[in-house]
Amino acid sequence: MNENIEIAHQLDCIISTNRLTKAFGKLVAVNDLHLEVMQGDVFGFLGPNGSGKTTTIRMLLGLIRPTAGRVVMFGMDNAYQLPAILQRVGAIVETPVFYPYLSGMDNLFAVAAASGMQSGKANRRRIEEVLELVELRAQAKMAYRKYSLGMKQRLGIAAALLTDPELILLDEPTNGLDPSGMFEIRQLIHRLSELGKTIFLSSHLLNEVQQVCNRVAILQRGNLVKQGHVGELLLGSEQVLVRLNAPEEMQAALATLRSARERGADWIGAIRVETNRQGQPILRIDAPKAHSAEINALLAASNLFAAELHPYEGSLEEVYLQLTAPTLPGERRGMAALAERAFLPEVAGEKKAGLL
Amino acid sequence: MSAPSIVMGRQDYPSVVLRLVGMELYKLRRRTLSRVVGSIAVTLAILLFLLISVATIFTSNAPASSFIQTCQSQTAPGSQPASGPAANCATPPPAVVAQDRHAALQETSAPLRLPDSLNVAVQFALIAGTILIIILVGTIAGGEYSIGTVRLMYTRGPTRTQFLIARLLAAFIIIALGMLLMTILGILSGQLLNPLSGITQNGDFWSTGWAGHALLYLFIGMINWFMYAAIAIFFGTLGRSTAAGIVGALTWFFVEPVLGSLLGFLGGFTPGPFGDFLKAIPDYFIGNNFSALLSDQGQYLFGGSTTSTPAISVMHAVLVLLVYFAFFIGLTWWINERRDVTN
Repeated sequence: MNENIEIAHQLDCIISTNRLTKAFGKLVAVNDLHLEVMQGDVFGFLGPNGSGKTTTIRMLLGLIRPTAGRVVMFGMDNAYQLPAILQRVGAIVETPVFYPYLSGMDNLFAVAAASGMQSGKANRRRIEEVLELVELRAQAKMAYRKYSLGMKQRLGIAAALLTDPELILLDEPTNGLDPSGMFEIRQLIHRLSELGKTIFLSSHLLNEVQQVCNRVAILQRGNLVKQGHVGELLLGSEQVLVRLNAPEEMQAALATLRSARERGADWIGAIRVETNRQGQPILRIDAPKAHSAEINALLAASNLFAAELHPYEGSLEEVYLQLTAPTLPGERRGMAALAERAFLPEVAGEKKAGLL
Repeated sequence: MSAPSIVMGRQDYPSVVLRLVGMELYKLRRRTLSRVVGSIAVTLAILLFLLISVATIFTSNAPASSFIQTCQSQTAPGSQPASGPAANCATPPPAVVAQDRHAALQETSAPLRLPDSLNVAVQFALIAGTILIIILVGTIAGGEYSIGTVRLMYTRGPTRTQFLIARLLAAFIIIALGMLLMTILGILSGQLLNPLSGITQNGDFWSTGWAGHALLYLFIGMINWFMYAAIAIFFGTLGRSTAAGIVGALTWFFVEPVLGSLLGFLGGFTPGPFGDFLKAIPDYFIGNNFSALLSDQGQYLFGGSTTSTPAISVMHAVLVLLVYFAFFIGLTWWINERRDVTN
């Protein structure tokens, strides 16, 4: 039974890296990376500049060789079966680059030939389809060197989709796109996901990732610091924001909630006093939003009545910043460290919350 | 999103390589540089024969005094040879002048006619054409790195070896076409301009054997170009740039003969085995070995030796050149396979 589950897992697993490591001399760009991307995932790959995202993507695509570890895609080891893997993958690695002297369409003809598609005009219709999809049909005959950055990016996406691949690797696909272009790419990712495509999306735009991805991995200095479902990651960042009628009630509310925590309400995390846009003091309580009513009841029991109470889901950006915050020697990392810091007087009240 | 209309080609190894060759040629055809290089090659090939025809016209219209050489041969040994008709020389009869003029014209205009025109066209192509081929092939190989398209291509499915084979085959195809174009255009230009000399084309040289040797001669010319193309691909890959490919191969092309002469000169001044060693080194140079092969064919095509390269046997030349090919192509393959594509 367990064996069957394992086999089913392996079949569903589109990308699996095992202790993947890449060192450039003494610099370890990617260290001991374990990634799992399942079929149908829209997988967000996050990390600051230099965290090893592009190096990882290059190792997945066989552009660079790992120093240690292995990459298995579609159940095949990319050290031995790279051509078979690449036929099922469409990719953009960093800013897409094409032949500047060829038009967009001619570039796609060249890419089609390199991708195993029949040469000549047989695939003209498919090329026109993908150009239509990225709204470059009108500029199809324009020389690539005359393309704007956004057009180049869109041509890169067209090339990645040309063979209708099962897995699409997109490294910063919205670079150079305007907000409407970004929106279109998000829509496109949604549509591709609905068609059952697996998408591996590396991006700095966390809001974009939060909107389109179901699973993410966060990389920091080559190390994987978090991997999981977006919902699970956000669960830890849920908060309840409370504004009381009278600002002088703030200290009483703080004492009430701390007392409740000491009495066993361990779902109450860090509590911070902040100021909203209107300059009114608010309480920011790290607690699951499902406990909003309980917080209200606790305060009401102490004759403290909330003027406003907002459950706040948190954002991937906050999770990301917490996980990738630079650490000092001896300092605790991540959420715990931030929670501790939140109680320091110089930190409390510094953050201007614009949510209430 | 409707079902995509994709027509896949055959995926066996040779089919993939052939498709990649087609892609390389497609890119070349669309490139302005290829057109410019092709135009320069055609212009130079025609221009060379135009210059020869101009020399022919000068010879044919030169004054009779230019052909009077009998006095020079009659001067006493040790005395200064006279130029032009001397006072003590009898003016030669017009028939002799006409004969001398004809002989001079025959000699000057010979490169306009076959078989000499073949030699002139190929030898010229081996100088001017090599430079053009180095520029073109260096751009193909290094350009992938300079522009950054190597990243795009290496993630499409074919292996790096297939890409390298395709590039070499594409280079050989353009070399074959280029060599044929320059030679045929040169020969045709010569034939068209030859009537200016008033000497008719003689077909006595023609035989099936001659045609075979002519094809072999052309093939050696192509392989000569291909060697420099392989060097350009090697340097372009090693240096990851167009400039590296072009400069590396051109440096090899120009430095080798200079170095050969220098070693010969130094060898002449150095007594003993070390001097012999220095003099023997140029026998392992690319240019000298190709000259030996061309010279070997030249004796069948044009009679006598067409180059001054002595004492390099065909077997020696073939082996040396094979080693060079194995070195450059093998090293390019090795770099190509091992390299991390990081740009």
